[in-house]
Amino acid sequence: MKYALFLGCMIPQRIPSVEIAAKKVFEKLDIEAIELQGYSCCPDSVVARLLDRKMWLTLAARNLSLAEEHGLDLLVLCNGCYETLVEANEILKHDPQTAKEIREILAKAGRKYEGKAKVKHVIEVLHDDVGVDKIKKFVKKPLKLKLAIHPGCHMFRETEGGGIWRKPKQFEEIVKATGADVVKNKIDRLCCGFPVMQVNEEFALKRNLLPKLAVYHEQGIEGVVVSCPACNVQFETGQVLLRKYGVRYNIPCLHIVELLAIAFGYPAKELALDIHRSPVQQLAQKVI
Amino acid sequence: MNKNEVIESIKNKVEGGVLEATSQERKISVTIDASDIRQVAYALLERRSRFMIIAAVDLGMDIELLYHFDVEGKLIVVRTKISKEQNQIDTIVDLMPAAEWAEKESAELFGINFSAHPKPGHFVLSKDWPSEKPPLREPFKGVLPEQFCPVAESLMSTGMTAPMSPLMQRKRQEAGLPPSPPASFVNAKSLGEVHEAMKGAEFDKKAGYDWKKGKLRRA
Repeated sequence: MKYALFLGCMIPQRIPSVEIAAKKVFEKLDIEAIELQGYSCCPDSVVARLLDRKMWLTLAARNLSLAEEHGLDLLVLCNGCYETLVEANEILKHDPQTAKEIREILAKAGRKYEGKAKVKHVIEVLHDDVGVDKIKKFVKKPLKLKLAIHPGCHMFRETEGGGIWRKPKQFEEIVKATGADVVKNKIDRLCCGFPVMQVNEEFALKRNLLPKLAVYHEQGIEGVVVSCPACNVQFETGQVLLRKYGVRYNIPCLHIVELLAIAFGYPAKELALDIHRSPVQQLAQKVI
Repeated sequence: MNKNEVIESIKNKVEGGVLEATSQERKISVTIDASDIRQVAYALLERRSRFMIIAAVDLGMDIELLYHFDVEGKLIVVRTKISKEQNQIDTIVDLMPAAEWAEKESAELFGINFSAHPKPGHFVLSKDWPSEKPPLREPFKGVLPEQFCPVAESLMSTGMTAPMSPLMQRKRQEAGLPPSPPASFVNAKSLGEVHEAMKGAEFDKKAGYDWKKGKLRRA
């Protein structure tokens, strides 16, 4: 298994512990991930797309062309990057007029987009290419934790004909493979509020994040697992920001690759979990 | 004289060239850089043109000026833009005296400085109108919503939605990672490609990005 690894903006710039964990987990599972050089923001599937669709498509196509140069498919660790890159590929495949325009812009920038690279979310790679059974083999000590999963809005995006619960279900199977207990709730599809923060912070915190935290707290959840760094940042900084409204929660939130790295026995210090703004390090120390 | 002759005569006189030209049955429209307005006026004088009017339009970040001329019964519209920061254009009054009132009107209503105008000053407004408040000039406003300007500025300058902070670079190094990921902003060639892509998509124009300053134009 060989992929071009697309790190995006949020992971290297806000939660590099995810970058560290991903590399360790990939090495353990024989996934060769070549870091994509010279990439730009995917660009993000909400704000950048609204700012300008042509710019959004052009930069996405350029990123895809970088992977094509290696003859590799793209592996992404972020739901937003996944949606942008998959959707850009689909638009350029099915809209010849737009594709022509974008190709011409890229040609002037010295790049060529051919639409050869596929885009895979880390959840798909772990589930379909590696397999849950193989993951189980590397779990050192089953994690006796009550966890919630937050799939994130963009994980429900599918190309035509796909089932929107395909990836969230795969996500759940992977978390369960670590030995953790996944506690179900009915607010899986509620957005964490990350994109809304840029328009109305109070609304995003109180109407998106808070209801989720309240349910998790009621269920005695010990941690929330996400597959998107933007959701991760929202759960962590959101809990800090909610204090100004008199609400105090301190629920750890971590990325799926970090959970796997913990389950595979990597020490918390080696994973730089102290970078998190929620008590992820304490959660790891509890189980290792 | 046919329509193309007028466009060609302007092209021959203007150093910066004609940015865009369209022609209809009785109307020709040419778009030029503001610094070329006097050269265009010279070219039209040679065609025995008659100055008609200047219409100014506030576009938010820029002011568009539409100079209207008549050449042998055909309407010639010369379009140009000046930035609100610069807010200045050369007068053509010494070449076409009929432009005197039109320039004074635009100056008073939009606050534009027509440099070297021979008789600047009060024209259509009441004498006690404060000169610092031209009534048709709107506050500086870009196309993008203000809250998204930092994202747009970072995307333009680095190719990323946020610049890499020195604190995070230090944290990355402490964690055993290189200070920055292998993204476009650490490689001049890649960043050049991103910038070309942005220009090709014309996002720089839409966002009002000042390439020299490396920032979005702001009020």
